[in-house]
Amino acid sequence: MAKKIAVYLCSGCGLGEGLNLEALAKVATKEYKIELVKTHPALCSAEGRQLIQEDIEKEGVDGVVIAGCSPRVNTEVFDFGPNIIVERVNLREQGIWCHPPGDEDTQMLAEDQLRMGIVKAKDAQVPEPYKVEEISKTILVIGGGLAGITAALEAAKANYPVVLVEKNEELGGWAARLYKQVTLKPPYNQLEEPDIKDRIKALQEKPNVKIYTSAKVEKISGAPGLFDATISTKNGTVTERVGAIILATGAVPYDASKLEHLGFGRFPNVITTDMLEEMARQGKFVRPSDGKEAKNVAFILCAGSRDPEHLPYCSASCCVDSLRQALYLKEKDPDTAVYIFYRDLRAPGQHEYLYKRVQEEGVIFFRSDNTQIEEGSNNRLVIRAKDVLVNEEVIVEDLDLVVLATGMVPTTALGEMIVVGAEEEEEKGKKEEGPLVRPDVYFRCDLLNLEYRQGPELPTLKYGFPDSHFICFPYETRRTGIYAAGTVRAPMDMRTTIVDATGAALKAIQCLELTAQGMAVHPRSLDTSYPEFNLTQCTQCKRCTVECPFGALNEDEKANPLPNPTRCRRCATCMGACPQRAISFKNYNVNMIGNMVKAIEVPEEDEEKPRIVVFACENDAYPALDMAGMKRLQLSPWIRVIPLRCLGSMNLIWIADALAKGIDGVLLLGCKHGEDYQCHFVKGSELCNYRLSKIKETLDRLALESDRVRMVQVEIMDWHKLPEIIEDFAKRLEEVGPNPYKGF
Amino acid sequence: MAVRVNPDFYRKLKKFGGQSATQCFHCGNCTVVCPLSTEEYQFPRRFMRYVQLGMEEKIKHSVEPWLCYYCGDCQRLCPRQANPGEVMMALRRYLTTTYDWTGLGRLLYTSNFWKLFFVGLLFFVTLWVVYTFHGPVVTEHVELETFAPAHIVHPVGYIFGTLLAVLLLSNVYRMYKFILGPEKISLPASVYLEELKTLLLHFFTQLRLRMCTDKSRWIKHWLLMSGYFIAFMLVNIDMVTRWSLTNEPPAWWHPAKLLWTYATFAMLYATTEAIIGRLRKKEPIHQFSHSTDWMFLLLLWPTIFTGLLVRIFMEADLALPTYYAFAFHLAFTVPLLGLEVPFAKWSHLAYRPFALYFIRLRERARAMQQPQMATEAEAQSA
Repeated sequence: MAKKIAVYLCSGCGLGEGLNLEALAKVATKEYKIELVKTHPALCSAEGRQLIQEDIEKEGVDGVVIAGCSPRVNTEVFDFGPNIIVERVNLREQGIWCHPPGDEDTQMLAEDQLRMGIVKAKDAQVPEPYKVEEISKTILVIGGGLAGITAALEAAKANYPVVLVEKNEELGGWAARLYKQVTLKPPYNQLEEPDIKDRIKALQEKPNVKIYTSAKVEKISGAPGLFDATISTKNGTVTERVGAIILATGAVPYDASKLEHLGFGRFPNVITTDMLEEMARQGKFVRPSDGKEAKNVAFILCAGSRDPEHLPYCSASCCVDSLRQALYLKEKDPDTAVYIFYRDLRAPGQHEYLYKRVQEEGVIFFRSDNTQIEEGSNNRLVIRAKDVLVNEEVIVEDLDLVVLATGMVPTTALGEMIVVGAEEEEEKGKKEEGPLVRPDVYFRCDLLNLEYRQGPELPTLKYGFPDSHFICFPYETRRTGIYAAGTVRAPMDMRTTIVDATGAALKAIQCLELTAQGMAVHPRSLDTSYPEFNLTQCTQCKRCTVECPFGALNEDEKANPLPNPTRCRRCATCMGACPQRAISFKNYNVNMIGNMVKAIEVPEEDEEKPRIVVFACENDAYPALDMAGMKRLQLSPWIRVIPLRCLGSMNLIWIADALAKGIDGVLLLGCKHGEDYQCHFVKGSELCNYRLSKIKETLDRLALESDRVRMVQVEIMDWHKLPEIIEDFAKRLEEVGPNPYKGF
Repeated sequence: MAVRVNPDFYRKLKKFGGQSATQCFHCGNCTVVCPLSTEEYQFPRRFMRYVQLGMEEKIKHSVEPWLCYYCGDCQRLCPRQANPGEVMMALRRYLTTTYDWTGLGRLLYTSNFWKLFFVGLLFFVTLWVVYTFHGPVVTEHVELETFAPAHIVHPVGYIFGTLLAVLLLSNVYRMYKFILGPEKISLPASVYLEELKTLLLHFFTQLRLRMCTDKSRWIKHWLLMSGYFIAFMLVNIDMVTRWSLTNEPPAWWHPAKLLWTYATFAMLYATTEAIIGRLRKKEPIHQFSHSTDWMFLLLLWPTIFTGLLVRIFMEADLALPTYYAFAFHLAFTVPLLGLEVPFAKWSHLAYRPFALYFIRLRERARAMQQPQMATEAEAQSA
């Protein structure tokens, strides 16, 4: 708790004119007995900063409340070191910029915001980083294909020890089975020997790299910096202590035997991409039916991909693979007629040059729907398709080979599917109305074998790829310290895989370095706070261990939570989940936010000034409110905004606190949830929504209308919708009428 | 009707140029920028696809290749360097051989051996004929008519010309059959006659070429065309005017001679410019020269030049050089006219205006089938 708090009011940027700063100063001095309250025309100037710095040094101030601009700006200016608590009261973006300056209601809003800021600073403590002794800085790479080797090589180049585990006898994976690869340098359209051998050699030459082939990860326990991986190798079982893990186990081709509608299995001369690759390595393109040379070859792309019956997604690389293979055929014999039937040809990045080259070589492309294949005489194949360019059916006859470009299935999607419903665990057999929490899904793919309470493998997204916030932090899986790279993470081609693996190596290094300093990884990088569990209050309800989106908490036999702080992302979802309020952070806890709510002054009913508490997610909703201010959109004067780390940290007690205080409504602004979620902590806003389904009982107990609480999903680009969202809620509250608890 | 993909057509077309057609990925930029492409007659993008799929029948019955004047805008803007203009050019070459029923055109376009053979044959046969059948050689002063008696030269020339005209028109008839045949149009003879004005207009003016972005090409082409037409007419009326093939040439200001001077220099300028252009390859139209393009220029330029020499030597009263120059002039003229007009590049003098003529006929036929639409069209044009 801060011992000595000082309040600084900035009169710059129109704040001095738009607000009565003297009245604001009185709030601090009179209501909170703060001695040191200063006003300055530009706190962000060197002089303004100096003013604060001097007070810290001379007056012993350790809690600084700065009322001025948004905490999202001038962050570094107002950083006074790790031991000084800084609380920013947003009077500019969310004050005079979106409320009329000089207005009585705006002044009341500013005063309430200041009250909340002072309370928050008072309740905050300086966090002490959670540091682990003897943290391991070794990186474990699982999978020795292009992605694994690249990640291992990049990590080794940065001087981090690497342990690489490959299930096969030889390294190289899919890339080593290629006949040729497309040049990764200009002109990007030539065939060359696969360079995977050079990469393997470079890796083998690195010191500090341990490679286990014909090996498998049997078990992983621990947490970032402290993982213990049990690996079965040719020479028995070994245990390695590692700090971070890169999962690069790749993908497997889609099972072509399911593609009977495209002739596979029915006609001998229908083959797959992999089978053609093998022919290329043998040096002969022949018809499987009679071994005669193939002179007319067609490729059918998206075979079993982008197909609701098979793989609904695009495999990202079968266009490029087919282009490369078409070039094999044309380089072997330019007179071979080669046809490519595609639905959308995707040649990402520099692959456009390859596409162009293949066209130059005379390969004919068909953008076609409903490609049909049949067999003519002498096992020759006939393709019929609707060509969209001439808008007519086209027939290609006398085909010796038809190659199906099959999609890829991530190795994380192999094995038995396990569905873990966060909700079901709590209420076994009990059917409850209201929104459900999306269950976690993983497959028993035998890759990681984590000893985690929430299951042995990575939770997956819709198609079995590891779940991650794919826009903001694609490599981050739902298990801190474990990063997926390459085709196991998403379908991709070689070039992307190399970039991806490099990125994952960097993420693993970041994790090691941040963990060593007791800091959080993405998205709350550098945060030194961590949750503390007051187990004397715990009732073993398991909400925290079930709801943690990152599997940070294990459980003992009695269902007490066993925290693993280095796995924690500091979203405080556990804090929001805990009905006992047993979980807290030094600078973020249930009481603190509750006290902030209680600091709001609620006018009497006859003043007709309703109050709305807005709990806004720091990641999208809060910046969106700032943007609304920057665009000078006008917001309802009744709102009082409290930023939350994530709506997942929303504890129901705050709503009770607010309504009991006489506040008319609570608006929760959080990220989009569901399948295409945008929540930075994956399930935070979804869990908040789930908790709200339970609020009804609480409200009934208080004899209040459930309409007084509303949750709205906003993305950062929804800033322009905020006036309407808030106004709409205010209107509804007007209909419901004032909170009967006012004045109690 | 389903399209049977024919990979052989693309291989065949390579011999006519246009090997870049497979590079097209059908963005359609070419058709958009083309100032000549219209709603009904869209090109070149559509034809890139016909070539890729080998839709030979479709191409054979198309008039569009003749509507393209190869300004090169499409080529400059093609993001794929698929050279749509050159593909259209290749299609014109291909169509020229398709219209030609003798098969000679095909040999000229697809075989360098036969090209050289026929050019050489006509060249040397002409020289041999002149050598064998020329009249008395007067060396004191120029007596060209004595050397080449007009009463022989002119009738032979007319016979030769008539033969060429018959060959060319028979090919035009085949073109008519290909383009309008499938539609089975029936029009009164008067319409055919009326629309001759379209034919003549475009024959003499090449107005469509003016619709291209670069207008200078129209001027150059018109210089060549007008020069050639004037020279052609002057030669044809020489039997009456006696300005050229005569022992007593008229004075320099004789109208025929003045016109001839214009024709010579106009043609010499245009052909020289074309040769330099094709060597420098700066403009899209000059970037890809088919062997027949060179064959045409390398026959035309010496024809004009030897014609000029004949005049110079005549004016200078140099007898032997005049006769030699005249002999070579004929030796270049005969293969030029005999091969280029009915079978090769020069046939476009008929195919281009006839293409527009056929389109007009088609429009007229449609208007007759749908009288109410005709009224609308008239209202619009009014």
